[in-house]
Amino acid sequence: MAENNHKVTVARDLEDLIPVFMKNRHKELDTLRVALAAADFEQLRQLGHRMKGVGVSYGFDHVSTLGKHIEDGARSGDRASLEAAITDYADYLGKVQIEYE
Amino acid sequence: MSPHEFRVLVVDDDPDMQSFLVRMLQAEGMRADAVADGDAALLHSIASPPDLVLLDVLLPGVDGFSVCQRLKDEPATAMVPVVLVTALEDQDSRVRGIRAGADDFLSKPVQREELLARVQTLRRLHETRRELEARRMDAEVQRKEMLRKAFTRYISPRLAERIISDLAEEGTPFQRGAQRVSVVALFADLRGFTRLTESTQVDEVVGLLNEYFAVITEAAYRHEGTIFSMAGDNLLVGFNVPFPQADAAALAWRTAQDMARSVRPVLERWRQGLATGVGFGLATGDAIIGNIGSPHYMSYTIVGDAVNVAARLVEMARPGELLVSGPALQAAGQATSAQSRGRLTLRGRREPVDVYAAVL
Repeated sequence: MAENNHKVTVARDLEDLIPVFMKNRHKELDTLRVALAAADFEQLRQLGHRMKGVGVSYGFDHVSTLGKHIEDGARSGDRASLEAAITDYADYLGKVQIEYE
Repeated sequence: MSPHEFRVLVVDDDPDMQSFLVRMLQAEGMRADAVADGDAALLHSIASPPDLVLLDVLLPGVDGFSVCQRLKDEPATAMVPVVLVTALEDQDSRVRGIRAGADDFLSKPVQREELLARVQTLRRLHETRRELEARRMDAEVQRKEMLRKAFTRYISPRLAERIISDLAEEGTPFQRGAQRVSVVALFADLRGFTRLTESTQVDEVVGLLNEYFAVITEAAYRHEGTIFSMAGDNLLVGFNVPFPQADAAALAWRTAQDMARSVRPVLERWRQGLATGVGFGLATGDAIIGNIGSPHYMSYTIVGDAVNVAARLVEMARPGELLVSGPALQAAGQATSAQSRGRLTLRGRREPVDVYAAVL
């Protein structure tokens, strides 16, 4: 993943919502891992669908991109692709830098 | 809540999406409430219809398509615009949304600018519709006012209000066919008017009659009477019709008293010794009320025994005198106010009638 994907610019009027947003993303990552371990592709699809919907709205475009990968991977049962996307997500959440403007 | 506040219901099971949408709407000065599932959306919308619903499609329980369909089927919410907010990109989902009655779509991920542009457009539409509705209401008020003015030429203002407010109801008096009802009929007849007309110019006669009828009509309306005919110098007022009046006979009695009192100064101004007063006939009984006549000429009137008896009594009444049938006297609670004239056989009627006289 390119380094600049870790820098996110969020609208100032959403600043107070970001702590809860990030907390929910970390919970989501845990749930994705559990679902992948259980090969629960339906739940993976739903989680990917949700990530796709919410990411860009807050300025986290990469969350939406990964969400689409996870949704597509779950639909096709592509375990390797799902593993890669979830690993990428974990890396992203660990490194993301948020700026407000 | 301010009267013109634009209220949006956000329906999304994702708390972050909910918070985002609510924040955007509030920043635009709208009130935004949020629920997380379809059942809550239906309950909230029906209990307090919002001005707009932003509705996610994939919801726990009842999905967004079904919620949209139910909102459009429900009279209270049928006109509320629904925007389906969805990450579903396939054409089938759009078609399902349109079939469910969705007014617009917003794709997830939601872009702030697109969200606000769509919501503002729907808000303008909402305001235009509200303005049109206000104009329609104004027009309706004006129409009712015109009807009220037309009705009050024949009936009391209170009765007119009641009829107008009942117009939308099934089976209101003027929509029904003729029916048999118990009525109280009061006739008032101006004595000596024919002699007066012989010595008066035609245009003056009309002026005098108008003055006379204005006074006694107002008296009839003051006591909730309904005028059924005005012919020559003779007036028929009905009570207990077209709406029931528990004290109909007492009202008719008071009407006669009021008419006699009110018309006195008018008659005194007229040529002395010619127009000598008003006679009254009062009776109760069954009558037929309804629109009677031909398709070309029809009048809303009462016909029947009570009307016939009252008409015969007024013929016999002297100026300032009320002749009343026994049952009408009892019903009016005026047994001690009148003297018996005996049991009389009235013209055109086989059964004699107990007749009483009161000086008004």
